[in-house]
Amino acid sequence: MSDDVCVSLEIPAQTVFACPVAGLADVLAERAGFGRRERYRFQLTVEEFCLYLAGLAADNRPLAIGLTGKRHQLRASVAFQAANLSLGALNSTSRARTGALDASAEEMGLLLAGKAADRFHLKHKGADCFLLEAEVDRAYPEAAAVHLPEGLRPPYTIRPGRDSAQLTQAAALASAVYPPWQCPSSFRTPGKFPDMVADGQATCVLACDAKGQTAGLLAWSPCSEQGLYFSGPFVFVPPEEAANVARLLVDGFLETVARESYSIVLSFRATSDLPEASFETLGSLQSFMDGRLEHHPVVFRHLREDNGLAVWCAPQLEDFLRQTYDRLALPRDILPVDAPAGRPRRDSLLGATYDRVRNFAELVPFLDGEDMTANLAAHVAAFRRQGIGTILYYMDLAVPWEAALAGDLLQAGFAPTVVLPQGGQADKVVWQHERLA
Amino acid sequence: MSGLLDRVPDYVRSFERYVPSRPDPVLMRQFGVTHLFRLNNNENALGPPPLARDALASFPPERGAIYPSGDAYDLRQALAAKFGKSPEQFLVGNGSCEVISSVIRAFCGPGDAIVTADKTFAVYEWVARFSGVEARLVPLKHQALSPEAMLAAVTERTRVVFVCNPNNPTGSWWNRATLGRFLAALDGRALVVLDEAYREFLDDPDFPDAMDVMERHDNVLVFRTFSKMYGLAGFRVGYLCGPPAAVDFARRTHIAYSVNILGQIAATAALADDAGHIAATRRMVDAAKGYLRDRFDALGLEYVSGAGNFIMVRTPLSDTLLYRKLMREGVMVRTMTGFRYPNWIRISLAREQAMEAFAKALAKVLGQT
Repeated sequence: MSDDVCVSLEIPAQTVFACPVAGLADVLAERAGFGRRERYRFQLTVEEFCLYLAGLAADNRPLAIGLTGKRHQLRASVAFQAANLSLGALNSTSRARTGALDASAEEMGLLLAGKAADRFHLKHKGADCFLLEAEVDRAYPEAAAVHLPEGLRPPYTIRPGRDSAQLTQAAALASAVYPPWQCPSSFRTPGKFPDMVADGQATCVLACDAKGQTAGLLAWSPCSEQGLYFSGPFVFVPPEEAANVARLLVDGFLETVARESYSIVLSFRATSDLPEASFETLGSLQSFMDGRLEHHPVVFRHLREDNGLAVWCAPQLEDFLRQTYDRLALPRDILPVDAPAGRPRRDSLLGATYDRVRNFAELVPFLDGEDMTANLAAHVAAFRRQGIGTILYYMDLAVPWEAALAGDLLQAGFAPTVVLPQGGQADKVVWQHERLA
Repeated sequence: MSGLLDRVPDYVRSFERYVPSRPDPVLMRQFGVTHLFRLNNNENALGPPPLARDALASFPPERGAIYPSGDAYDLRQALAAKFGKSPEQFLVGNGSCEVISSVIRAFCGPGDAIVTADKTFAVYEWVARFSGVEARLVPLKHQALSPEAMLAAVTERTRVVFVCNPNNPTGSWWNRATLGRFLAALDGRALVVLDEAYREFLDDPDFPDAMDVMERHDNVLVFRTFSKMYGLAGFRVGYLCGPPAAVDFARRTHIAYSVNILGQIAATAALADDAGHIAATRRMVDAAKGYLRDRFDALGLEYVSGAGNFIMVRTPLSDTLLYRKLMREGVMVRTMTGFRYPNWIRISLAREQAMEAFAKALAKVLGQT
C-alpha cells in the first residue's frame, strides 16, 4: 500500500486562492517529513504556478491541483486549459533569470517557480488542455564508504529488492565499483534509492549468495508509458562468476517485467557485464570523462513482438531513419511532415535537466515557438558555460510538431544519433549536440 | 467522460491488453516479403479432418441468417457419445479462452486466488488479473510444473488450480501417478482444471485420461479444444467437461450463443472422423520435431521438446530481434519473453516446406550475427 500523502482539489482560476493552496502544500510537505528548505521550495513552486496559471486559464476554467508527498519527492500537478499557451519564462535560459529586468511580475513568478523546483514537465493533453508538473526532491546525505562483501559463495539466487538496508548497501556498492556514467544519480545518495523503491518509482532485483549476501543488482524505472529504463547489471562477485550472476540478474529482470504493460526496456547505462545476447545495440552516445572520449552503448530490447507502427518524419531526417529502420529490421510507415510554416507562439519551451557528475544534459521539447532555434542555442550555450560535455535532445516521432523540428535541431548543431523503438508514444530519436565540450 | 474513466477498477487500469498479430497481407507488406509461414500459434498445418471440410463446404449460406444452437446442443451430444458422458457435463465455448473466463467467473470472487505456473499458457493469469482475482504463479522445476510447489501455493483463498497438461510451451506433462498424488494431496481444497489442449498429440499409456479422472474427483474439470489437433482454430471451439454440478455453475456465467454455427458444425463433424486425421498429424509433428532437433543440434542450440506440436529453442540473440529478422525471411515464430522465457522462441511443428524455410532462415539470420 502506498505511503504517499496526497491532496487533490479544484480551485477557481482566481489568484486569491493561490496562497491557501501554497499553505496546503506546506502542510503536506511537513506531513511527509520534508525539511524546511524543501518545504519552502515546494510551497513557492505551488504558489507561483497557481498565480500564473490562474491568470492564463481560458474562460476562468478551474485549476485541478494534485499535491503528492512521496518518501523521496514532493510533486505538484496543475491541470488547466489555456489558449495560446506560452511559458517562456520557465526556460532555464530565460532572460529574466540572467538579470534582465524587462520581465513582467507574472513572468518573474514563473521563473521563480521553475528555479525553486528540481524539474518540471508540461504535457499537452489535447486541444487547449495541459498538465504542468513540478517536483522537489528530498535532500539526502552522500554515500559513506562501503566495502565489497567477502567470501561470496554460490549458489546465487535472484530475489526482488525490498529490504531497505540491503538496497542501500547494493546502491553504494554499485557506486563504488562502477563508473559514474553507469550509475543512476540516486545511487550516489544511497538512502534515496530504497525510498524510490518503496515509492514505486524504481524496482530492482538483487542477486544473493548462499548466505544471503548481496552479490548483484539490476534496477529499473519507467521512462514512458511503454518503456522501462534499466541500470546495470551491477555485479559484486569474483570475475569468474560475474557472467553467471549477470545472466541471473538480466533473466530475473526480464521475467519480472515480461507481462507488465511495457513494450520495451532500454538503457544508456548498461554495464560491461550485460550479456550481449539479450539485447540489441542501437548505437552509442559520446562523452568526455576525465579528458577521455568515451562511447556509451545504447542497448534495447522489445518485450513483445513489434509488428510495426507509423512515425512522422521531416525530410532532413528521412535518410537517417530509413537506414536505421533497415539496419534494425523494424517495420515502419514513414509519414512526411514539413517544417512549421508558422509558429504557434512566440516563446518555445524546453525541459532541461543536467547531471554534473555524469557530465551530460538532456532537453525535451514542451512547446514550439518562434524562438525555437535560438532557444536551443541558448540552452546549449548555458550548458557549455557550466562545462557540460554531452547534450542530448529527445524527439518523439508520434508528435508531428516535434518531428517537424529536425531543421531547427540541425541548425542548432545537433545530429540524430540513436532511434529508441517505441521509446516514447512512438519511436524516439535521440539527438546529440555535435560539439563535445 | 473523464469521471467515467476514473471509475475503471485498478486491476483493469493496470492490465495490458493482448495485441494480436496483424493480418498476413499487412505483415508481408511491412516486412517486405511475398510469402509468410505462420509458425507462431501452434495451428495444425493439415487443417481440419475431411468430414469437417465437407460439412463446411456443404453449409447453405442462407442458414447464416439463423442463430446457432445457443448451447451447442448437437456438439455436446457428439462429445457425450464419444466420451461416454452426459451432454450436461459439457460446456462449449468460443475457444477454451471463453471457458477459462466462465470458470473463473463462476468460482472466484473478490479476494480469491488461482494457482498456476509462472511459465504456462498465459490466459489463466490474464483472465484472473483482469477479473480482480489474484494469480499465484509457481515456478517450473526442470521445465515442468511442480506438483509440490503448486500444492504449497494453495491457500484458503485458492479457488482454482490450472494445470496445463501437457504444458504449453515446455511440452512437459504429469503422468498418472503424479496427477494422482497431486489430487490426493490437494484433497478437494480447490477446483482443478486439467487443460488438455495438446492432449491428442500424445500417445503414451502413462498419460492420465482426465475424462476418467474427473469421474473419481468431483473437483476436476477437463478443458479441450478443436483449435489444435482438429485444425479448427479459426472457428474458435473449445469445451470443458466435468461433474454435472460444477459444470452447471460454470454454465450460469457463460455467454449463450457464443459459438458460431459453422464452428459447431465443423467440430461435430471432426469428432466423427478423427482417427486418420490424428494419426496423420502426429506423423507430421514427429517428422518436424526430429528435423528441427537435428537442425538445433547442428547449430548447438538448447531446446525443449516435449509433447505437443511445438518446440522451444533458446536463441543466441534477443528473441524479439530474431522475430523481426525471421519475419524479413517470411517466417513468423512466437517470441517467448511474454512467457517469461527471455531469448527463447517457440516454433509450431508443421509441414516439411515450412520447417525447411524456418531452418534456412534461422541459419541465415544467425550467420549474420
